[in-house]
Amino acid sequence: MKQYRSMFFVVLMLFGIVLVMQFRTVMERGAEGGPTSRELALRLDAEQNAGKQLNESLSALESQYGEKLKRIGENQGNTEFMDLIAKRDLAFFQAGLTAVKGSGIVMTLNDAAAPGELALEDYIIHDSDIVPLLNDLRKAGAEAISINGERVLGMTKTVCAGPTILINSSRYPVPFEFKAIGDPEVLYEALENSESVGVLRLYDIRVEIRIEPELTIGKYRIYGSMDELMTGLEVVVP
Amino acid sequence: MKTGKSFALTLAITLVCLIMGIIIAWQYGSVKANTQVASFEKKRVSELAEDILQERSNNEKLQQRIEELQLELAAFNNEESVGRDATDQLRKDVKAARVMAGLETVKGSGLLIVLDAEGDLIIEDRHMLELINELRASDVQAISINDERIVATSEIRKAGRYLMVNGHQLVTPYVVKAIGDPLKMENSLRLLGGILEKFTLYKFKVQLTQEDSLIIPAVRDDGTVLRTDLLTPIEP
Repeated sequence: MKQYRSMFFVVLMLFGIVLVMQFRTVMERGAEGGPTSRELALRLDAEQNAGKQLNESLSALESQYGEKLKRIGENQGNTEFMDLIAKRDLAFFQAGLTAVKGSGIVMTLNDAAAPGELALEDYIIHDSDIVPLLNDLRKAGAEAISINGERVLGMTKTVCAGPTILINSSRYPVPFEFKAIGDPEVLYEALENSESVGVLRLYDIRVEIRIEPELTIGKYRIYGSMDELMTGLEVVVP
Repeated sequence: MKTGKSFALTLAITLVCLIMGIIIAWQYGSVKANTQVASFEKKRVSELAEDILQERSNNEKLQQRIEELQLELAAFNNEESVGRDATDQLRKDVKAARVMAGLETVKGSGLLIVLDAEGDLIIEDRHMLELINELRASDVQAISINDERIVATSEIRKAGRYLMVNGHQLVTPYVVKAIGDPLKMENSLRLLGGILEKFTLYKFKVQLTQEDSLIIPAVRDDGTVLRTDLLTPIEP
């Protein structure tokens, strides 16, 4: 009986180990118990819908505001006030706070259809690909640029965030659609001959460039108040 | 009798061991699969959580802007006579927009970056672009390179050994001024494996100074930098 007892000991020990393993995986799952990706996706959807509605009501308010200004200006004949409205319109136009139209180019970038033998990283579009392209457009005299509808201004951030790119304050997945207003031929030539576009094509990233005789580029969307935008800044007269 | 009993016992133990073995193998497989699924799920969850946070903060800010506009609209309620509030409001808007466009000289705290090449490598447009983009990523409010204000149409060009910004030839050392949160900007430049580490590798001399008061000049307003001649505004 003695040898069986030691056998039982081994068997029961194994059983104990199995129990502990099982317990641990169950515990791990329990501890994570937080929201699952499906729940989060639903929540994200809700936030995005709320954002869409807010954007719509903001646009409605803005046009209401614009109309009101115009009416006041016309009704009053107050030259000082009308002058101020004209200044506001000009400043907003120069700052990119007004939608604009003109002729230019549209460029779309899409990840490689299938990754080749290099690292997957090389077949994906990064912020480091976007930045030189924007510079190429500016060098070629682009006057207004947008990516996926986000107006690109001087302080616009383009940051890689996982599989998406953060532009201004929203995230966008591929494909990326660049719009640029300027001299269409010059912009087209500049991109076709761009070193950055050449490198992207080398990695099978799909780059399509076409001339558009009439393009509309939306205004920069201000998030937060105008006051907040000016925090820490003081205008000085040189 | 004795042998029969011992045979039954052996059989029982063998069976138990066999079952145990199967359970262990199965458990091992499932634990491995579990951790794989868990890590995939974890990544997805954290990405989604970040997206939600971003979207939520955007929505809060949109709400803020809506409230601000509603207040401004209320100031215009009396269309017959526009009060002091209304004109002040418009002046403020004009000023903010001109700052955004880069048409006003601005002052604020920020980071002063002095950049010079000491080794064989010269500072190229791509290096400067990377630096500027790093600053943009840390919520910079205004940037200049050798007092050339960076605006929406500013290009950075390589011209011989030096750089050209806004159509102007610059010489080293490049003095980059950035108004914003100095600590945030310096931290993001100093990140491990970040841009400063790379610049050190290239033997660029980089000096960072956090300044209480930096002055960044306005862009030349002669239509050569902030070009709008090919744009037609669309009524809001």
